[in-house]
Amino acid sequence: MSEWVVETRGLVKRYGRLVALNGLDLQVAPGAIGLLGPNGAGKSTLIKCLLRLHRITAGSARVLGAEVQKEGRNIRRRVGYTPEQDCHIPGMVGSEYVTYCAQLCGLPFEAARQRAHEMLDFVGMGQERYRRVDTYSTGMKQRLKLAQAIVHDPEVVFLDEPTNGLDPKGQSQMLRLIQSLWREHGMTVILSTHLLHDVDQVCDQIILLAQGRLLVHDSLEHLKAQRRGAAEVVVSDREEEFAQACRQQGWPSEILSNGHVRVEHGGEDLAPILGVLRQNGLAALEIAPSPNALEEMYVQALETAHGAA
Amino acid sequence: MALHELGYRHWEGRHRGIWRRRWTISAHGLKAVLANRWMRYVLTGAWGLALLQAAVLFCIGQLLVADSLIVQWSANLDGLLRTFIGSLTLWLEQHPEISVRTTQNLVFYNFSLLYLTLALLAITLAIPHLITRDLSSNAIIIYASKAVNRLDYLTGKLGILLGLLTLVWLGPLLAAWLVGNLLAPNWHFFWHARIPLLNSLLFVGGGMVFLSLLGLAASAVSSKEKAAVGFWLLLWLLGNAFVPPGQRQEPWLQHLSFHHNLKQIAEAIYQPKTELERARDNIPVLGDILRRPMHRHLRDWRAPRTRPAGMALGILAVGSGIYLLRRTRTE
Repeated sequence: MSEWVVETRGLVKRYGRLVALNGLDLQVAPGAIGLLGPNGAGKSTLIKCLLRLHRITAGSARVLGAEVQKEGRNIRRRVGYTPEQDCHIPGMVGSEYVTYCAQLCGLPFEAARQRAHEMLDFVGMGQERYRRVDTYSTGMKQRLKLAQAIVHDPEVVFLDEPTNGLDPKGQSQMLRLIQSLWREHGMTVILSTHLLHDVDQVCDQIILLAQGRLLVHDSLEHLKAQRRGAAEVVVSDREEEFAQACRQQGWPSEILSNGHVRVEHGGEDLAPILGVLRQNGLAALEIAPSPNALEEMYVQALETAHGAA
Repeated sequence: MALHELGYRHWEGRHRGIWRRRWTISAHGLKAVLANRWMRYVLTGAWGLALLQAAVLFCIGQLLVADSLIVQWSANLDGLLRTFIGSLTLWLEQHPEISVRTTQNLVFYNFSLLYLTLALLAITLAIPHLITRDLSSNAIIIYASKAVNRLDYLTGKLGILLGLLTLVWLGPLLAAWLVGNLLAPNWHFFWHARIPLLNSLLFVGGGMVFLSLLGLAASAVSSKEKAAVGFWLLLWLLGNAFVPPGQRQEPWLQHLSFHHNLKQIAEAIYQPKTELERARDNIPVLGDILRRPMHRHLRDWRAPRTRPAGMALGILAVGSGIYLLRRTRTE
């Protein structure tokens, strides 16, 4: 039994002359993994290659220890997938659709029906499960996609942009559901998205791709720790005076367009900033430690990649 | 209570095998196809035809029963028809091993082709439910992400048409054979009717596989229902339009019609011409009565062009298979 849920060696995927994945080497441990990257980075392609929906051009890939090229069907029995695009089996009502998906994964009909209703409860679908899928709103379709992906109790679930088209409340509910899959039920989640907030909220590992190459693969905690400590401070007034005081401490500081002062203090806690505020008789309304750490890391990694290219 | 707190339980059951999953696809598809009102009319027509066929077989059997209604009724007839029925009865009594086989073979040949038309109608109605809608709703990706591969998907879809054609074609034919021979005056009919049964199984079985492949390929032609159905009708009806000019000028034109090719194969399997010749030669009175017109008819009857028909069907079947594999790729 492999300790990695996903393992790739020199994975290459080409579409004609376009190289979508360029020699990807990965070893992914169980957890909640954020697959990040700009559009065209190769996130969806990687998932499709791992599920054998697309053929691998070169290299090898294993999912849950099984060779993707040889054991595609066996792998798909053990994993779940929510595609990015809108897709359903026409003419079915929601509960029938999820039952059918469970049966396609090998569950007997009775168990499939029971699981389908449990999963529809889990994703928060009520009586609308008895309506035809064709009539669902985007939010309902996203929930349904999640239900069909986990109905057979997979060990790993690949979620491709699962919060697309959802309103803020729907997004928040969906993220909580996804979060609970790993934290409470031990199901590895691989979340492909370009929304950093989603990753920050749900994931404990990050895989950052750009132009089909791996830029970063690390734990979120470690990545954040590697960055210089920074904070955004909201002072009642005299922002310039506060920024100047910070600069005197040797901390790069700037006043942002929203009036907040961004201070790169380099430390792990906020005590030095509080000290400066006290010394200068300033009152802080709010201090937020490293609010955009992930975004900064993301931009920095992409810039590095572009520089290297 | 938050929605996600409603709970998630792990499942620890035993997974079903791959054939069960393929069957799930077939059963679900067949259910969707049969929900169509027009399909129910076609089914009713097919089973009505089966009743008619069983009635015909029953009537043939009754000729051997001296006090049967048919014999009594024929005694009251005049001239030719009474002589014909009398000679047929005599022939049936004297050579049951040939006569039952010959008459039933001719009956099954004609009825097989009648059922074939209903089968083609049934496929026309089923086409949108096969692959067309899966293409339009991206359902192929859902299938491909489950524990079934492309071949399993296609096998399941093929099962829909095989199931449908069993209900419209093979099933009624077998039921008619069974009922017709059950109602025959003696059990020997079952034995003597084995050749028509085997011929039917061979022709209908092969025809079902071929038509299922072709119908499935037609349904994969487009993600728009009208376009897919239109393509199928074009293949069927336009192909038939080539048959009359083909008879007059270029025989190869006829093989552009898969319907015509199937009829040629049916002729090769059932051999109705041979059976008619046998009847003519073995029923003296019948021979005397019908010798001249039948002789002319039999003389003009061209031998079936089995090889080109078989090749044309084979090319279509292989082409359909290759097309289906390409069309249902998720890449």
